[in-house]
Amino acid sequence: MKYLPLSLGLLLSASFASAMDPQMMQRAQQEEQRACTPCHSLRLVHSQRLSPAAWQREIDKMIGWGAPVSDRKLLLDYLSQEYNVEKPLPTDELTGNGVPDRK
Amino acid sequence: MSLPENQKGNAWSRTSRRKLLACFALSPALASAKDLITVPGKRPLLLHNDRPEDLETPASYFSSWITPNDIFFVRQHLPRPRLEESTYRLAITGRVSQPRQLTLADLRKLPQHRLPATLECAGNGRAFFQPRVPGVQWMRGAIGNAEWTGPRLRDVLALAGADLNAAYVTVNGADVGLAKTPDFIRSFPMKKALHPATLLALEMNREPLPDIHGFPVRLVVPGWDGTSWVKWVTNLEVTNEPNNGFFMNPAYRIPKHPVAPGSPANPADLEVIEGMPVKSCITSPSDQDRLPLAPTQLRGIAWAGEERITRVEVSTDAGRHWQEAQLSPQDLPFAWRLWTLDWMPPEEGYYTILSRATDSAGRIQPVVATWNPSGYLYNAIDRIGITVEKRA
Repeated sequence: MKYLPLSLGLLLSASFASAMDPQMMQRAQQEEQRACTPCHSLRLVHSQRLSPAAWQREIDKMIGWGAPVSDRKLLLDYLSQEYNVEKPLPTDELTGNGVPDRK
Repeated sequence: MSLPENQKGNAWSRTSRRKLLACFALSPALASAKDLITVPGKRPLLLHNDRPEDLETPASYFSSWITPNDIFFVRQHLPRPRLEESTYRLAITGRVSQPRQLTLADLRKLPQHRLPATLECAGNGRAFFQPRVPGVQWMRGAIGNAEWTGPRLRDVLALAGADLNAAYVTVNGADVGLAKTPDFIRSFPMKKALHPATLLALEMNREPLPDIHGFPVRLVVPGWDGTSWVKWVTNLEVTNEPNNGFFMNPAYRIPKHPVAPGSPANPADLEVIEGMPVKSCITSPSDQDRLPLAPTQLRGIAWAGEERITRVEVSTDAGRHWQEAQLSPQDLPFAWRLWTLDWMPPEEGYYTILSRATDSAGRIQPVVATWNPSGYLYNAIDRIGITVEKRA
């Protein structure tokens, strides 16, 4: 039972992976960098788990706010494939310690 | 938060990546979500956004009634401005008899008031909504309780001869959006602006406001969502119409009538979030902890916007039975209470633990939070699971 969700997840990611070849994936990630990171980190993007319709709304909102998106469909396909509701949630990450020890 | 599974197992170690990044002078084209940041003045916090920093306090840190500045959560919509004490001015305009440009010295000359108040992001708990909604995926810790010190907003408005019959005060801070991102501007009703607990805080926990929390001046709107607590305040405008920018409409509004989860809201049915709901959380143990079969103390926090917490009940058997928790002595509006319950697990096994708060208005934390498209005001009964085991 324990391995069922994992194997399902692998199956799903395998079927999605076939949707975008490595070259296209690379282009999509470059597009993501260019479009999103002027205003915020990608961590904020990658923590979302959204349907394609919800991703489309987010992308269009950001385009309205000046995000330099040159290939809207590529970005939408990539985000919908990589950060959809079937994907496991990212694990928690902590910042470094910004309070120097007083010794 | 981490990279998703499909990007883990990168061949580079974090250290070598850091070195490489340094070589490229932190070119944004190479910066990856895996390179964790350190925020000066902050202990390790849950990282939701590196830039601008959105940082969550792990629930296990909430062990004291006052949340120290170095673990207090951070929510920023726009890049953080840096203001200088010597050049700082607060403009008061609009429906006033005498527009003013106040200095920090002017604000310090007014009577100073100190108020403990809980600050909670409107999106705290967003990650628990199903179906998931876009936004910072806050869990339990976009909240903190601090002592805020500064003049009353009403005393500041009086210096400019504000028309107290005007409907709103519109507040702008020094932060501005990049590209065409809208400016962060908020309006709130004159009635709340004139409330004696509404402050322009100059201090947080008896220290000058840290830059990241709004130095030198932030608005304190006790009991209302964090969005109202504008940071780096530079402009107060007395108006009869509320600002209608993005951060007033459609953002930070909820449907007056619940919608089916996953469906859009009717824009005409949206209303501005004001006072916060009743809520409690379990802060210790943490979800999925393993504990020895021995006496233990369950701990948490409870708060209720403009109301006072009157009761917290805890169940250790998934809601079949409830016991009243012990509340910390602070019986105040605006500020949270800590709660504890001493518990001896009867035997080994898995336990579902719940907490449920009630406030002075008779509001009770609901079993299910009202889903809304932006994931605001999550306040369902809190729930963790723990395993109790015999240890040698």
